[in-house]
Amino acid sequence: MLVINVTTFSPAQTGSLAEVLADLAAPGDVLVLVGDLGAGKTAFSKAYGAALGVDEPMTSPTFTLAREYEGRLRLHHLDVYRLEQMSEVLDLDLPELLDSGGVVLIEWGDVILPMLQADYLEVRFTFGEGDDDRLIELRPVGERWMARTDQLEAACALLSDGSGGSSC
Amino acid sequence: MLVLGIESATAQVGVAIGGHEGVLASAHSARDRRHAESLTPQIEFVCSQARVELSEIGVVAVDVGPGLFTGLRVGIATAMAVAYGLGVPMIGVSSLDLGAFAVEHSRRLIVPCYDARRGEVFTANYRSVPGGVQRLSDPVVCTPDELLASLMAKSEDVLMLGDGAQRHREVFSSISHVEFAGTSLQYPSARSLVDLAHPKALREEFVLPSEIEPLYLRLPDAEINWKTRDGR
Repeated sequence: MLVINVTTFSPAQTGSLAEVLADLAAPGDVLVLVGDLGAGKTAFSKAYGAALGVDEPMTSPTFTLAREYEGRLRLHHLDVYRLEQMSEVLDLDLPELLDSGGVVLIEWGDVILPMLQADYLEVRFTFGEGDDDRLIELRPVGERWMARTDQLEAACALLSDGSGGSSC
Repeated sequence: MLVLGIESATAQVGVAIGGHEGVLASAHSARDRRHAESLTPQIEFVCSQARVELSEIGVVAVDVGPGLFTGLRVGIATAMAVAYGLGVPMIGVSSLDLGAFAVEHSRRLIVPCYDARRGEVFTANYRSVPGGVQRLSDPVVCTPDELLASLMAKSEDVLMLGDGAQRHREVFSSISHVEFAGTSLQYPSARSLVDLAHPKALREEFVLPSEIEPLYLRLPDAEINWKTRDGR
């Protein structure tokens, strides 16, 4: 399985990664955000939304489960942290969110993989040595993301020309 | 007995009211899936057009799916609230039954097929019988290709209808014994719902509001496994 590794050393750099990924956004995309509390999922989401042109403040959807924003594409920011049953995922109404041309970010999304469509980009955050270091793995799954691996790699390489590090 | 019918299982949302003289008034809209915003005004409009007070309603009928999740939720919640408020019983009818009932006089195998999104459709098989239609198979959610395979195995002529049949028409067109109903039948209608529910109401085939259950074909029965997650 293809994995693109990116290391960032500050929240701003993680934000830059979100920006280059937002530039690749297409209607119907799903990004599954994985990582412990404080690993940067929500910070990533905010930067991603800003880069999509969302001009209102984005807040964590942990207690509302889902929030919707208008940008270049409609952005649905979901968090499944509070769910216990797979059937509750139905309440989020993913098929309709995706069918109407939106982009969906799902925090903790790796626990509901059986409920997701076959195509998604997993973005996994783990803590690095320094307090602000993050090891970020991008894992394209399914045809629509595999077809964009070159673009993903190019975008991440561009990022690493700054001060972050990227390897594949 | 007057029946209020609420139908919101697809991209369309509709309300109808009727009784022994048939449907008295109805309203349907299919723009932008604004089911929550449309439904209550539609109920008011239909009551006023039929010159019926809400308190005269004897039973509330509702489409219980299969269908699109948000619309179905809005329709069933609203229908239950009205029935509770009026203290009247309810009748739940499947969206696929409504689709088939709309072409009840066809001698073909009747296959309603509604768009389930995510590249899938909701479908079941029906045939015409005196006084209505009979369902021959359980409602399923499947891909158009899976439905195609099951239709190819049939020797009889097939009539398909619904927005799923429209959306995936190219797939189903590959078999010669299939005909498609027009766009007027692409969604189940609240009119059909009232027509179908009224005789049931006369036979007292109704249930309490608390017994109405949406038909979710995708309902998974698993708990989310958080145990493997240290972070939570």
